[in-house]
Amino acid sequence: MKRRTFNKLLAGGALGALAGRMASADEVTSAVYGSFDGVTVRAKLIGGAQYETLYAEIPKWEAATGAKVDVISRKNHFELDREIKQDIAAGTLDWDIGSNHTSFAPQYGDIYMDLNSVMKPDVLAAFDALALKNSTVDGSLVQMPRHSDVSNLYYQKSLYADQGNKDAFKAKYGYDLAPPETFDQFKDHAIFFAKAPDFFGTQYPGKDEAITGRFYEMLVANGGALFDDKWNPTFNSAAGVKSVMWFKDLYDAKAVPAGVLNYLWDDLGAGFASGTVALDLDWAGWAAYFNDPANSKVANDVGLIRAPKGDGGKRAGWSGSHSFSITKTSQNKDAAASLVTFLTSHDNQMIEARKGLLPTRTQVWKDIAAEFGAAGNDFMVEVFNTYGQSMAEDAFTPPLIAPWIEVSNEIFPRLQKAILGEMTAQAALDEAAAAATRIMQDNGYL
Amino acid sequence: MARYSPKRLFRNRMNLVPFLLLLPAFMVLALVVVFPLGFSLYTSFTPYRLIRPNTLHVWIGLRNYTDLMGNGDFWAAFGRTVLFLTIALNVEFLAGLGIALLISRITWGQRTLRTIMMFPMMFSPILVGYQFKFVFNDNIGILNNALQALHLSDGAIAWLVDRNLAMFSIIFAEVWMSTSVFAILLLAGLLSMPRDPVEAARVDGCNPWQVFRHITLPYIMPFAYIAMTIRSLDVARAYDIVHVMTGGGPAGRTELLWTLIARTGYNNAKMGMANAMAYISILLSIAFTYFFFRKLIAARKFMRGAD
Repeated sequence: MKRRTFNKLLAGGALGALAGRMASADEVTSAVYGSFDGVTVRAKLIGGAQYETLYAEIPKWEAATGAKVDVISRKNHFELDREIKQDIAAGTLDWDIGSNHTSFAPQYGDIYMDLNSVMKPDVLAAFDALALKNSTVDGSLVQMPRHSDVSNLYYQKSLYADQGNKDAFKAKYGYDLAPPETFDQFKDHAIFFAKAPDFFGTQYPGKDEAITGRFYEMLVANGGALFDDKWNPTFNSAAGVKSVMWFKDLYDAKAVPAGVLNYLWDDLGAGFASGTVALDLDWAGWAAYFNDPANSKVANDVGLIRAPKGDGGKRAGWSGSHSFSITKTSQNKDAAASLVTFLTSHDNQMIEARKGLLPTRTQVWKDIAAEFGAAGNDFMVEVFNTYGQSMAEDAFTPPLIAPWIEVSNEIFPRLQKAILGEMTAQAALDEAAAAATRIMQDNGYL
Repeated sequence: MARYSPKRLFRNRMNLVPFLLLLPAFMVLALVVVFPLGFSLYTSFTPYRLIRPNTLHVWIGLRNYTDLMGNGDFWAAFGRTVLFLTIALNVEFLAGLGIALLISRITWGQRTLRTIMMFPMMFSPILVGYQFKFVFNDNIGILNNALQALHLSDGAIAWLVDRNLAMFSIIFAEVWMSTSVFAILLLAGLLSMPRDPVEAARVDGCNPWQVFRHITLPYIMPFAYIAMTIRSLDVARAYDIVHVMTGGGPAGRTELLWTLIARTGYNNAKMGMANAMAYISILLSIAFTYFFFRKLIAARKFMRGAD
């Protein structure tokens, strides 16, 4: 499953395609979703602009099934995470559906049910098998993937077309200027294009799990690993040091904004759209925004390639899926399963895909590309082809273990210290590895 | 039975009345204050994790506390919090005093100005955090753009990354939000101050500084210490500001006890350890509050307002 081509993914999804077409051909009726008169499904959902469009469809399901959906919480994922942990502690899991994420799911223990027992086999068959595999914890399908996420490299095409840039770059670095295939080239290009404080080569998320994840995917691309087979931390390796130095070298060269260590995803998107950044390794959700002249100064000048490779010959591919789970304590499991089926249906995934969110149903990949193609939107066709390929061939999740966030909280401050020069890269990673070892011991992995 | 006369029984019952009347208040206090405090103290002696409720019943004694004794990150955050409190409260006092003195001299539009002065208090700390996160953003922030437009800087100053500037930035946001607490209380003191001593001093030839130093300031110091006490207790609201602006980073440079405790308790789900941190940090609150109360009593004695 690790190395499939995009075409194989599409071909392999033939059954899913059929199921997807059947679903999309169906109206939202009680014949498809069941009848649950008088039932109220209580849900805790992730909130935020990019997630809300889907929730506007819920009244259709309510009308078809006779059930009601009571959204008792709608928060960003970190706040929702806190709330769910408090519910676990207080024993107040009196709700049915919760938004989830592949990175967060393992820490919730056994509060969510195995969806294999309530989801119809034809529905499951319509999903990408890798997405379902990554949604499985300890053999239990605890979540249905809603949309996925992986990063690829956006760049300003005009910078690469400029003959002056090509000549100057060749003279300085000794090789031709073309969109970078490796992280070493990425670094060279970013330093070459930067003219701080007016123009920057690139940006990266500088804190929280965001920078840990970026480090993790570079570590893997460079041939390293976070843990060995026995869960001993191994990220303080040569590959780890090389990955940290990528961040530090860019920071020292002022190829990234001075405040980058305080940046998160929104800052990256806003920066690239402002036209002051040459390269941006980012998710597909920004694609339409980047190419919209009303919002972006780089509209019609946006190029996109797959994430670069590291020394290990592997591309970066840190990935995860937003998802829906059903609590084991739910009193309305069938209605909840019906709602989850509806929220992840072909038509609803099409709605989210039009925003640039990556679908988890195989047929939606084909249909959304066809739709954009018919509308003459070649850029979005390219976006879905590129992201589809990286989801199929490059994507990998963080370790699906309960203490992942806790480990991340030990790693990212040390990465920051190394980038700021407070510690050497090796010392920072050694210290983080020692802290991670204690966490893994405390959690029974060692 | 014979030993208890009706009169004595009645007297005994009457003795119980005060306690019976106070009982509901004691019960409410026990329920909303004592029990949660006792429970959180208990959890600090356990490895309690939010996501593993059964860990609540594992007694590990003082291990969380002994671990914290050797935890450099915790003590660094502790020291940083003391620094934050000291600077923020003093700057808020001085700025509040200046604003109060200015407004007290105004004879027209004072009420409008007093209302405007309270605007920052009306903002939620989260909004204040986002506001100053934008102001201090190195790339698109209004401050750096203004400095560059005025040719006062030719580079992007990393306000939220540099060790000193990051602390300055979060203290600035906190001072902006809370100075009006001092200003309002000090203004109340100034407005209630009798005019006779001031006029007598002027007749005796005191200059404005001498009047302020020896009459006005001693009079309003009790108000200042009340404000300090209130602020030292609710300054933890600054958590939201720090969380939004820097998240305690980068590299822990703006990590305060509140951000560290929240990350430990919620993100890492280690509520037992977080409560141990909180109980040690309570010592800090008690120390600040005790210090200001002593100062308040001393100031009132100076004004002959306390026995």
